[in-house]
Amino acid sequence: MKKSVTWMMLAPGLLILLICLALPLCRVLFPTFVTGDYPFSAYIRFFQDEYYLKIFMRTVKIAVITTAVCMLGGIPTAYFISRCDKRIRGLLLAASIFPMMTNSVIRSFAWINILGSSGIINKLFLAIGLVSKPKKLLYTDLAIVIGSVYLFLPLMIVTVTGVMENIDDDMMEAAQSLGASRLSAFMKVIFPMSLPGIIVGGILVFTGTLTAYTTPQLLGGNSNMVLATLIYQRAMSMGDWSGASVVALIMIVVTLIVIKGFNALAARLDRRGEAR
Amino acid sequence: MKKNKWLTAYAVVVFAFLMIPLAIITVTAFGGGSAITFPIDSVSLKWFANVFTTKSFRSSFLTSLEIALLATLIALLVGVPAAYALARSGMKGKQLLRSVFLSPTIVPGIVVGFILYQFLILTFRIPVFASLLAGHFMVTLPYVIRVVGSAMEQLDVSVEEAAWSLGCPKGKAFFKVVLPNVTSGISSAFMLAFINSFNNIPVSMFLTGPGVSTFPATLMNYIEYSYDPTVSAVSVLLMAATVVIMVIVDKTLGVASLAG
Amino acid sequence: MAFMTLDQIDVSYDKKKQILKGLDLAVEKGELVSLLGPSGCGKTTTLRVVAGFIEPQSGTFTLEGEDLTKVPVHKRNFGIVFQSYALFPHLSVYDNVAFGLRTRKMAKDVIDQKVKAILEVCGLAELAERFPKEMSGGQRQRVALARALVIEPKLLLLDEPLSNLDAKLRISMRVEIKRLQKKLGITTLFVTHDQEECFSISDKVAIMDQGVIEQYDTPESIYKRPATEFVARFIGFENFLDLRPSRGAEHIFKAPDGSSFCVDMDWGGEPFVGTIRPDDIRLAGRGQKDNVISGVVGVRTFLGKSYQYEVETAAGALKVNMDTEHVFQEGDTVRLYLPEDKLVLVQKQEQQLKTQGSGLS
Repeated sequence: MKKSVTWMMLAPGLLILLICLALPLCRVLFPTFVTGDYPFSAYIRFFQDEYYLKIFMRTVKIAVITTAVCMLGGIPTAYFISRCDKRIRGLLLAASIFPMMTNSVIRSFAWINILGSSGIINKLFLAIGLVSKPKKLLYTDLAIVIGSVYLFLPLMIVTVTGVMENIDDDMMEAAQSLGASRLSAFMKVIFPMSLPGIIVGGILVFTGTLTAYTTPQLLGGNSNMVLATLIYQRAMSMGDWSGASVVALIMIVVTLIVIKGFNALAARLDRRGEAR
Repeated sequence: MKKNKWLTAYAVVVFAFLMIPLAIITVTAFGGGSAITFPIDSVSLKWFANVFTTKSFRSSFLTSLEIALLATLIALLVGVPAAYALARSGMKGKQLLRSVFLSPTIVPGIVVGFILYQFLILTFRIPVFASLLAGHFMVTLPYVIRVVGSAMEQLDVSVEEAAWSLGCPKGKAFFKVVLPNVTSGISSAFMLAFINSFNNIPVSMFLTGPGVSTFPATLMNYIEYSYDPTVSAVSVLLMAATVVIMVIVDKTLGVASLAG
Repeated sequence: MAFMTLDQIDVSYDKKKQILKGLDLAVEKGELVSLLGPSGCGKTTTLRVVAGFIEPQSGTFTLEGEDLTKVPVHKRNFGIVFQSYALFPHLSVYDNVAFGLRTRKMAKDVIDQKVKAILEVCGLAELAERFPKEMSGGQRQRVALARALVIEPKLLLLDEPLSNLDAKLRISMRVEIKRLQKKLGITTLFVTHDQEECFSISDKVAIMDQGVIEQYDTPESIYKRPATEFVARFIGFENFLDLRPSRGAEHIFKAPDGSSFCVDMDWGGEPFVGTIRPDDIRLAGRGQKDNVISGVVGVRTFLGKSYQYEVETAAGALKVNMDTEHVFQEGDTVRLYLPEDKLVLVQKQEQQLKTQGSGLS
């Protein structure tokens, strides 16, 4: 294809991305480097502030736990789905995709009904006398973690299933014929072979949780802020636009670090010799 | 293959975790009381009626439909040629360009909304609706580039070459040979982009104004101020729509095309 | 009792379609036995029953007199070479081969010694650090073999191991497999659909069709004397003649036009049919009368070292391969001689199943 034609096809997209993403990013983020007494002082102040640091750590903590739980729940389930015959597999895949397509407001709302002070769990606990007055479950970090797992577990399942589907039954059988039990065959063969998918799933879940707005807003409330809700609160309630911009850049940087980190991990673990 | 019963039990628990909360919502939507209770005391459809008579739901629903549809169409219009150029050109910076087109995925949605609000609305006084559309374009474009791009990659180059050898000019060959063979890719990109734009909240949080609010944002506001089964009823309606869409997609493209 | 036996094995999927029907097989120690048959005949299922991947609905599998029917795969200690090789893509050649020894928790230096030894035997010493993706089909095949052999298995099971190699490599690999198998004295089951490959390396061959073994014998015997029409078709007997026993005379059979044939075997009560390979039919000499039938030449095709003619005779159409010295034309009348030691009687097959027998590859 001629170079000029190629550029003509790429140009409209690049133009929009320039005007609606690159320029606004520069315009909003660049001033944060130079405000204050010395370069980057806004960022240094952010990490020195106990309140902000707590929010930052909470956000990372929730993302780490959510990713771990999604892997723990998603990987065996994905393996189960990938070994079902075609019809059942399609059905289970649909059952996993369905929540993904359901609005995150609704999925968080579901947990308000369950975790709230007059929610199902508290009613149950009161009824069997486990607690004497409703326990605070909603508007806690735990609620955000549960809501985030609920939000991202299907994504993990679907991503990992996509990789495991392509692993031949032969692999499991070969490992078993060499004396490995099912569990050790899974750990030594299926798991390492699925790592690329698990890494991709991990990136999606981690960055998704890190930047999610809806779930922490609905299940965490104002006392359990995370970075995404902090931006909104800074800008809209406090009118602190530069503070919000600082948080915005921190979110982007952490996202990039996580992606690079996971990919580096993948490259180290996944030494199948293509690059030799 | 012989199934391990522990693994089966594990999967059953996971799927129960995924399904039960949505099932509970469904039940509460039909409750007759004035607050959300589970199990319900009496059955009524009044909350569904409430959904249709609440004006903010109706107008924001239309806004969301409009935005999702427009954002998806623009993304296709811009993204399909770009995906083709990225798939077929042999130039050096191809990988870099591809990541430029996918770069909206690494900017968190709330940040996209935030910077567009400052840049487009505050600085350049662009109308809210247009700014919202720009934000949702960032949601939809990566789906088009990824899904249509992989369909283009999979299409044998020699199919096009055959068309050229038969006297079809290159531009015409794109429409006559390439596009018809990536229609399923385009359709699934459309579905994914549309659904994700329609459901998106973070991008829209900043980009609201008088008379312009998306459906999920309105829903979220409603939940924060009043806690009654109206939202359950909305959920049931949306889930029903989702099921319909999934069945249609499954019959045409295969449900796996929604796996993203 | 034989070293390895399968006794009355029944396998069915979905409780409807029966894959194996009361299958019996006995293998002696150190033998290389092939299971040969068209796709879907149950040969791979048989192998998978032996391997332990499938538990039969009924029947027993014994090795050295011990019932192993319900022993799980990983405790059987059999070496298996898969059609796809099933090499672990994330492990190097060395680690692939060491896998089975590590699951047995052997000492590191013992593992190292054994792995190096088997890699040497299989001609892989130089490739130990490679990954499966970086190797040719033949090399992968060797790794799969080395991985199966290093655990010193009681049985070696090969599931169409050569089908993914090109023709030339296939021939050299099968010689190599035979060499290793004899050297290590390891009892081997070999599944294949390739008749030539199977006959060339097997001590015994079991020809299977629709879940049963049609014939189990040495390759030489099967080649000369197929027992059933199915086996005959499968191993290249392309001509089937409608013959009737002649009253009063043993070994003499008659074609519909009255030509009489002497056959080197007896036949009991079941319906039968005469069969002969195209290569074994010759032109009759001038005065020859016995085992001769005349026919009209039809289509001629060129096979390289010979021509093949379709000859229409009273006993049916015959394919005849003849040297290229004399060329017959369509319409010529020829007299064909069917030697009595080459003409074989086989049990006639049910009419509707005939087409399946042509699955010769």
